[in-house]
Amino acid sequence: MKKNLKGKILSITEIAKEIFEIKIESELKEISAGQFFQVLCPPKTMRRPFGAAGFENGVLKGVFKLRGDGTKYLSTLKSGDIVHFTAPLGNGFNIESKKSLLIGAGVGTAPLLYLSDVLNMQGIEKYFIAGFRSKEEEIKGADFAQYGGTILDFVEPYIQKFNPEKIYACAPDIVLKKISEIASKYEIETEVALEKTMACGIGVCKGCVIKVIKNGEIQNATICHDGPVFNASEVVWE
Amino acid sequence: MGIKYFNLLGQDFGKVSFKNPILTASGTFGYATEYSDFFDVSKLGAVVTKAITKAPRAGNDGARIFETSSGMINRIGLENVGVDKFCEVKLKELQENDINFIVNVAGSSPDEYVYVAEKLGNAGVSAIEINVSCPNVKAGCLEFGTDETALGTLVGQIRQAFSGFLVIKLTPNVTRIENLAQAAQNAGADAISAINTLKGVGLKLEFSGKNVRKTLVEGGLSGKCIKPHALSCVKRIKSAVTIPIIGMGGISSLDDVLEFIAVGADLVQIGTENFTNPDISSKIITELEEFMSAHGFKDFNELKEILRDGI
Repeated sequence: MKKNLKGKILSITEIAKEIFEIKIESELKEISAGQFFQVLCPPKTMRRPFGAAGFENGVLKGVFKLRGDGTKYLSTLKSGDIVHFTAPLGNGFNIESKKSLLIGAGVGTAPLLYLSDVLNMQGIEKYFIAGFRSKEEEIKGADFAQYGGTILDFVEPYIQKFNPEKIYACAPDIVLKKISEIASKYEIETEVALEKTMACGIGVCKGCVIKVIKNGEIQNATICHDGPVFNASEVVWE
Repeated sequence: MGIKYFNLLGQDFGKVSFKNPILTASGTFGYATEYSDFFDVSKLGAVVTKAITKAPRAGNDGARIFETSSGMINRIGLENVGVDKFCEVKLKELQENDINFIVNVAGSSPDEYVYVAEKLGNAGVSAIEINVSCPNVKAGCLEFGTDETALGTLVGQIRQAFSGFLVIKLTPNVTRIENLAQAAQNAGADAISAINTLKGVGLKLEFSGKNVRKTLVEGGLSGKCIKPHALSCVKRIKSAVTIPIIGMGGISSLDDVLEFIAVGADLVQIGTENFTNPDISSKIITELEEFMSAHGFKDFNELKEILRDGI
């Protein structure tokens, strides 16, 4: 059940260049890997969405990159400050007992940190690769990190080396599109977590729609409600 | 919406009555049940549904929303399930959950408006809001809302087809909104709602050397930034019509609600603020009740009279 919650910041730390990790204690009972939460950033109109980067003992972890006024506001908060947020939002990853390759790029690595924890706990074999623009922007937690260039250069080599049955990816659309093409060539089931500017967070405003193919028909889907996790084969890439 | 019990906040307009003056605006509250996790949506004065058209609409391609200072721009393009599916699925949900609602109706020709209004009336819908003010579609809609004669004709045709509570939602993108309100009243409208969004352009320029990446969203501006203009529109409409007015535009607090009532609104709609605070409408209803009790108002009419005195 979605809730509008008040949370206390336990810590807020700059873990990489202009990238912050925030830990929030609240009455939130559940949020699964791939689901997201939306934080009120006064005086901004739209709440900022962040994929859950972890959830343990009632403490929600998020990772955000400084982008504009909203994230700038968040970065000025301190331990003990109160934040208002809505959660859990959207649909998370469908976790299956399959050998998994996790592919992240930039701040898209964050939701995969949580997924990686969950897979570990369930004893599902996985390998996690992530790409960053530079070493100082690295979000730590992947098994292999690459700086500069593109993580795409490593997707095929790791598929061949690790032979995964499933891929989970979170990255900019252009990267996800390529990952989806590569995965389809190797016939590997792939789930992607997407991002777009959004307002309501619950599927009513239709501000964050993408096109998907369902039952042979192209139709709209909202990232916030129908996603953010989609089966890569259903997404009509722009 | 045939609620005939009255508390402090109730208002009766003959064809329909409202248990309180707090409504949610079309396009910001879906079909109501999406907000059920956050509060009991049946406590709202009414929910105005997302616009319904004759055929389903996929809406616009490309970027649809853009945040501005104290507001946002949208160009959704009336994405909706169409009137048939609405009647089959969404209408039942609203009725089964005892939610008070007004169905927002849009169209690209008078025939389409009339078709949808008639169909909704036959399905038992007691109140509709005619959207002649959407800035985000290519044909129809807004053009009926900017010309007094065209609006009068359209409202007259819908009036013939729908006997329930007929609300006309006006655009602020005209020189004299009060003249359009009067035309709607003369043609048989039961109420005016105002304002829809203002025209706006959101533009983001990102430089990389001499290359510029441009994000442009041209659509309807809403949110806190439009409130002063909305108040002006409602005030002018009040000077021109005697039918009830539903005021909206940037409402985010009880104070805002009182300001709209002071300039002439009988009911209000909360729109963009639902995105910022999903339970804002519920909070405002409670605050309004507490405010009325604390100040000793015996009913909503007394509050209206005092707020409007001298304005």
